[in-house]
Amino acid sequence: MSNNIDFKELWNRGKSSAPDISEIFAKADQLNRKTRNKIWRGNLLLSLTVAFMIFIWWYYQPQLITTKIGLTLVITAIVMFLATTNQMVPLLAKTNVETDSQHFLAQMIRIKQKQEFLNKTMLTGYFIFLSLGIFLYMIEYAGRGSLTFQLTAYGITFAWIAFNWFYIRAKTVKKQLSAINDIITRLEVVNKQLLD
Amino acid sequence: MVFEDIYRDYWNKVFRICMGYVNDADWAKDIAQEIFIIIWKQLPNFRNESAIGTWIYRIASNNCLRQIERQNRMPTTELPEQIEYKPDPDKEWQSKLLYKCIAELPETDRIIISLELEDVKQAEIAKITGLSESNVRVKVFRIKEKLTQKFKQYEQ
Repeated sequence: MSNNIDFKELWNRGKSSAPDISEIFAKADQLNRKTRNKIWRGNLLLSLTVAFMIFIWWYYQPQLITTKIGLTLVITAIVMFLATTNQMVPLLAKTNVETDSQHFLAQMIRIKQKQEFLNKTMLTGYFIFLSLGIFLYMIEYAGRGSLTFQLTAYGITFAWIAFNWFYIRAKTVKKQLSAINDIITRLEVVNKQLLD
Repeated sequence: MVFEDIYRDYWNKVFRICMGYVNDADWAKDIAQEIFIIIWKQLPNFRNESAIGTWIYRIASNNCLRQIERQNRMPTTELPEQIEYKPDPDKEWQSKLLYKCIAELPETDRIIISLELEDVKQAEIAKITGLSESNVRVKVFRIKEKLTQKFKQYEQ
């Protein structure tokens, strides 16, 4: 084999017949529809949950202020959670692809770090609001029963919340973090390649 | 500039860059299509601040780099099967080997060498990657050395 390999010639042999241009437009359209559907679904779920909470409020006519505060907290928790997962994340993930590679990689790392923070904070906030909301909400109804009933009701509820907090939440956060951290590490490695 | 013209003039160039990055014709085609969707959407906002080629290659390079996010997919180390070639079996095999060798390089090296082989000027490569021109020159030289070495190793 000669020492001078004509890489350019070999490179230019790589060809693929361009798909018909309509395929590109169709794909773009499909992507748009997907995004629209996702947002629409998210908003529907959000509205339904809030409507359900308001219905409880209106139908059962709670007497105590604690119940109302509790319901508000639960609604806030759900709205917060859905809003961030549905709207904020795509907003955060909006990248400028027209910049140079170095800036692009730095931007991707920044976005992933924000996402990491958001995931952790949101999930914790969601649990705190939800637990507090349920606690307050239950005061009015549990208060009508005997002491044993109150203890059982609160005991079971909080055992369930504790399970979610210490097991589900911990596991979810860990899983999300390791996935994001993995990507961040890889992005950092690639970014370093440019600096070498 | 009209999108249809860009598409016609740049499809193979963009496809080759993707191919050098992932060494998988189907995957490369997917990325190339995504790139042209972005170009189509962003074209009305293109302000001629840079050459159209630089702008297209920036979008192409960044979308290749974005593949890092997809954890499950790694460039294949197989020889690519699906590229269309003119009949010349020996050269055909060498060309496949070249793409395989490029895809084995570190990510940013893949992009730099692909642009170089695509005859993009080094000053433009500097603008696309965000490196200085002298840095690009040094890198291209080193990558070519590495590539030649790899290539010969496989050829034996």
